[in-house]
Amino acid sequence: MTFPGLVLRNALRNKRRFTLTLSGVALSLFLLTVLRVVLRGLTDPATTDEAALRLVVRHKVSLANMLFAKYKFRVEKMPGVRYCSKMLWFGGIYQDEKNFFPQFACDADTVFKVLAEAKIDPQQLDRFVKERAACVVGIKTLNRFGWKIGDRITLMGAMWPCNLELTIRGIYSGTVDETNLFFHHEYFDELLGDKGFTGLLWVRAENAAVVPDLIERIDAAFANSDAETKTETEHSFQLGFVSMLGNLKRLIGRISFVIVFTLVLVTSGTMSMTIRERVREIAILKALGFGAWRIFCLILAESFGLAMIGGFAGCLGAWVLVHAVDIYKLSRGLFVNFEVTPRILAQSLLGAALLGIVSCLLPAYGNLKRSVVEGLRAPD
Amino acid sequence: MSIPFKYNWRNLRVRWRSTLATTLGIALVVAVFVMVMSLARGLKATYLSTGDPRNLLVLRKGAMAESSSQITLDDVRRTKFLDGIARNERAEPLAAAEIIVLITMDRTSGGKAHMQVRGISPMSWQLRPGIKIVQGRMFQPGRRECVVSRNVARRFENCRYGQRFRSGKGNWEVVGIFDAQRTAYDSEIWVDADEAREAFNRSFYGSIVCRPVDELAAAALIRRIENDKQMQLRALTETEYFRQQTRTAAPIQVFGACLAAIMSIGAAFSAMNTMYAAVGSRAREIGTLRVLGFRPRSVYVAFLLESLVVAAMGGVLGCVLALPLHGVATGTFNWTTFAEVGFECRITAGLLLGGMLFALIMGALGGILPARLAARKPVLEALRAT
Repeated sequence: MTFPGLVLRNALRNKRRFTLTLSGVALSLFLLTVLRVVLRGLTDPATTDEAALRLVVRHKVSLANMLFAKYKFRVEKMPGVRYCSKMLWFGGIYQDEKNFFPQFACDADTVFKVLAEAKIDPQQLDRFVKERAACVVGIKTLNRFGWKIGDRITLMGAMWPCNLELTIRGIYSGTVDETNLFFHHEYFDELLGDKGFTGLLWVRAENAAVVPDLIERIDAAFANSDAETKTETEHSFQLGFVSMLGNLKRLIGRISFVIVFTLVLVTSGTMSMTIRERVREIAILKALGFGAWRIFCLILAESFGLAMIGGFAGCLGAWVLVHAVDIYKLSRGLFVNFEVTPRILAQSLLGAALLGIVSCLLPAYGNLKRSVVEGLRAPD
Repeated sequence: MSIPFKYNWRNLRVRWRSTLATTLGIALVVAVFVMVMSLARGLKATYLSTGDPRNLLVLRKGAMAESSSQITLDDVRRTKFLDGIARNERAEPLAAAEIIVLITMDRTSGGKAHMQVRGISPMSWQLRPGIKIVQGRMFQPGRRECVVSRNVARRFENCRYGQRFRSGKGNWEVVGIFDAQRTAYDSEIWVDADEAREAFNRSFYGSIVCRPVDELAAAALIRRIENDKQMQLRALTETEYFRQQTRTAAPIQVFGACLAAIMSIGAAFSAMNTMYAAVGSRAREIGTLRVLGFRPRSVYVAFLLESLVVAAMGGVLGCVLALPLHGVATGTFNWTTFAEVGFECRITAGLLLGGMLFALIMGALGGILPARLAARKPVLEALRAT
């Protein structure tokens, strides 16, 4: 019998135990992988080359304080600014509070120049720009509610005392977040009686080199005014937002640690159970002249193989979950960026490998220490 | 039915290594479950303990939170003097116009958070008698002074007694610390309402808190405000408003439940493994028990009990492991108010009981099949086993 054959026979000797342990390992690695995917989706907003050129200008006090709309005219004339659009979080309710998705009032003529990676049909864009009560919807939200071009939708204002009656004139896709709805800022102003404010300014810089300087110049321009600004890159703006959610990294990190610890404990317990039943056999192998190293390899291979198969199964499970289930719909629009990246896969498999090695160390050590005679005498 | 308790107990001790591994496994699962749920409990308890059932809160129609509500000065004046609102000894109506401003602050533990600054009127204190200044003094309007809750002082930069922080048109000095007794107000900074409106450029107020003379008057006021087409306001009891905020805890609860469910299946597998091994290596003992007159049913119960005992030990250990989290202050983001809400993790007797129940379910799942195997073993075959 070959060495791998012996390992396989040993592993499958108790099929029930093998299956149970394997399922346990697979389940835990599935959970670990999904936790990492969730963490990444929540705390690591994806960034693109285009996004690196975008800046967000908000009120210095907080996001919930409004900027003067007239700031736009000063910002768009600054050297280094290519396009600029006003943005205002509408936070309206579509039919039911559960149907959450982001809605923004914006400058129709520039918003898709700032959001340059968005793909939108030029004719649709043209119609959107020309019609005051028109809107453009991200493909994900469109599909979620089964809307189509030409549909009329009503958004009830939860934050603002007005309701929007919008007609869908365009669909965009190709961005990291394909869930937003954009409508005319003028329409909002009209409903509210032109109060002359907006939420923030969304700026696209000429090139990456001017960005640091531009940030300083914008903030300097409005220093000591009634509404001082805070300008940051889109990415750091998103990170700031994420940090408001609380320390998710620490929470999920700790839970993952507990899972790994439990897993090592339980797997190592199973391995020692397996080996304890084989004390006599191992003593015979020793008597036949197998070195301690060979016997250790035998145990290691079994444990390692078990952990790796479990690891692969767990990762596959996570992958299937992410691809087969519409997490966006399921989480009611909360998780947009949900993906099993190669990095996460590698981390999980590395974890499985370490698990395989660590959990056989203690049981193997105890066994190798035992003398041949002692082993042969051991009761079953 | 007689059950060989002593035999089971001794077995657990003899096979202490696998018993320990299973116990610890179950303990950790229970600990994670109790800990995550204590977050949800604490958050809910904070909102449920906030608000006075006698108080009414008036908001703009359609606004889901105080922070997104706006009420004009005219409407404030009209609402304050409506019939049915109680008056104090100086015949002033017990009504306070307030405004919430959200500001960005740095947490001492790193990261940023949106904080609620509540601009209050003098009557606000009378409407919330539970809130007391415990250090320093009340702010004086117009001097850029504020009072903060004890929780805020601890958890945010530059918010300790005597410190200053910049926001809006002000360099605010913390002149007092208040204790809101673990209510949602414990996540707030309080300043004068008119000063807040001036410093943060608000032409309007956010909400009105008032005290109707009695329940009948309250119901009448709610109707009166609801039906006033000119004002576009709505009123609800303060407790109802804060009860609605408890849904902030829903995502944590879902997360905790999913996590616990998946982990518990893994732990049940491990328990099953241990029990199968126990049954497998004790075939001869099972045979002996049967010869001694124990019925298959007794053997079944004995092994199931063994599994349950292991699980119960794990459950107790898990609860003990989770206990230190009780009372730990933390915070999360409330999407409706768009601000941070601080709360303390709460581990209640009910939650511990839930954890124990959870452990016992894992034990039962792990023990039923092996116990059945043990009970069905033919006596002769079992006796012959090596």
